[in-house]
Amino acid sequence: MALRYLSSRMTLGSRILSYRSSLASLHSHATSFGFQQVREEEKSKLVGNVFTNVASSYDIMNDVMSAGLHRLWKERLVGKLSPFAGMKHLDVAGGTGDVAFRIFDAFNSVKRRALRKVDEASHEETQIYVCDINPNMLNVGKQRAAERGLSDNRSLVWVEGDAEALSFDDNSMDGYTIAFGIRNVTHIEKAIAEAYRVLKRGGRFLCLELSHVDIPVFKELYDLYSFQVIPNLGELIAGDRDSYQYLVESVRRFPPQERFAKMIGDAGFEKVEYENLVGGVVAIHSAIKL
Amino acid sequence: KRPIRFIQSASLTFATSGGSKEEALLLSAWQRSHPRVTKTQPLTPAMYRTAAKRLLGAGFTTSRLLRLPKPRPTTIIPFSYCTSSMNHTESPIGNQSVNPNQSDPTAAREEGHRRDESRKPRAEFEEEQARVLAASLRHVPRLGWTEEAMIAGSRDVGVSPSIVGSFSRKEAALVEYFMDECLQLLIDRVDSGLDLQNLIPSERVSKLVRIRLEMQIPYMSKWPQALSIQAHPVNVPTSFKQRAMLVDEIWHTVGDGASDLDWYVKRTVLGGVYSTTEIYMLTDDSPEYRDTWAFLDDRVKDAFDLKKSIQEAKYFAQDIGAGVGKSFQGLMNGVMQTMSTRGGRSSAF
Repeated sequence: MALRYLSSRMTLGSRILSYRSSLASLHSHATSFGFQQVREEEKSKLVGNVFTNVASSYDIMNDVMSAGLHRLWKERLVGKLSPFAGMKHLDVAGGTGDVAFRIFDAFNSVKRRALRKVDEASHEETQIYVCDINPNMLNVGKQRAAERGLSDNRSLVWVEGDAEALSFDDNSMDGYTIAFGIRNVTHIEKAIAEAYRVLKRGGRFLCLELSHVDIPVFKELYDLYSFQVIPNLGELIAGDRDSYQYLVESVRRFPPQERFAKMIGDAGFEKVEYENLVGGVVAIHSAIKL
Repeated sequence: KRPIRFIQSASLTFATSGGSKEEALLLSAWQRSHPRVTKTQPLTPAMYRTAAKRLLGAGFTTSRLLRLPKPRPTTIIPFSYCTSSMNHTESPIGNQSVNPNQSDPTAAREEGHRRDESRKPRAEFEEEQARVLAASLRHVPRLGWTEEAMIAGSRDVGVSPSIVGSFSRKEAALVEYFMDECLQLLIDRVDSGLDLQNLIPSERVSKLVRIRLEMQIPYMSKWPQALSIQAHPVNVPTSFKQRAMLVDEIWHTVGDGASDLDWYVKRTVLGGVYSTTEIYMLTDDSPEYRDTWAFLDDRVKDAFDLKKSIQEAKYFAQDIGAGVGKSFQGLMNGVMQTMSTRGGRSSAF
């Protein structure tokens, strides 16, 4: 009965209004660079500059800003993904390789190696593609791979590419992750649509992103920390206040959890869910393509 | 106001005693729409059975789904056969209505969903998951109740094995799916004319438990793993619910006319019989599990004897209570009479 009531409320007029307002907010994401207004074409260049500047200190700053928690968040993301042998995985905006290394480790742990004998169908090799639009970030990632002794490993492939126009074939990936990257994309819905395109049937889309906090007191503390502490840390450690100002502003401009989930659903994904970590500071959205 | 408060209190006590809060609320909502029924009869466990069947039909545990509107307590229960169960003419009507809905585990949901198209996407991926689980069962004797079996199953269906990651409590999902399937098979066997007329109740129970346990024979080598998965604290609520439904179904088929305390006692006892037989079966290597069936018959016989002795004890207690009550009643009447004659018209009572 409650459902019938709702559907009668959604008249044509109000439906157009809500469509227009959602379009407007997407458009506003495409033209916002933090709290500034910029032209759409400029946004990706500006974001590119930000990441070129932060690339070398990206990992250290992550540790400092999140007090090391970002490692746990990424562990949780990979845990949710549940990698398996023979998987083809794409990690977008994964420049420095955090998520990719974790997935790689998940494959190569002793337990997995023992079980690999059992699963005869996995004659294909597992492949992890790391895609990033910024070559500086990719270089940092390749350096870290070399430090681990993985520079010649065939499983890890570093690709330069744009999340809105991936160079991979349709229905070719078992998994797609994007950690702390979709916020920086100019057109979010294009990135999601590309994710839908490259995933196989049954493939999973996982997105780890800084999101909105609703808990009353905690929200104020979080805002205080974001706007007072982080830009100063950026200046102190990375010597770049503006990039980190952009970072915290872009978090506020990103759609909240429910709306982002709706966007994922609109692209055609099924079973869209999200999990809030640390009260909403970070959210993991997951979905299946069917 | 008073009948509603009674219903709410009844449903609350009911909720604490074993049903979930959702079911209790659902039943109270149902009762509010049938005022005549509430005034004449209190909440009985027999109603719980059909109500539980509607709600817990598919047995899938679903995580928070954004495409799904609020939970749908009132849309699924068809009131017509709830009232029929009230009159205890359960067997023909109950079974007929159960059959078309439960022939497909997701049909119970889809029936309510045909009315609202926005729910179709949810049913679709659940169907896909069900297909993957069904295909995985073929690999279980070889690979066990594990992710590997589910990955192999998903490859059979032609879906990327990533979908396995989307099951909450992966191996448990497979085991729970199997339990639901077996229950469904049992119901189908019963509906398609199992001959129980010539058997006494204890033999009927024996036969039904035997049919159900025989479904596990192909997986017997890996069944201990399934039991341990079901015993994990995370999985206990669901496995308990499934076993309760199974036991409920068996008693219902046997032709149960129970009420009140007896209902709970019967389910608990049969639950015990079933579990012990199941565990005995794990280590039985006699040809065609003959020893297990002998064990089962003995346990069922014991249970029925126990039932008789419990019933006798109950009647005994009732008689004593009645006797004590009668004497107390007589005393109170005497007191009232003397007070009214002495106190006169101005008595407060």
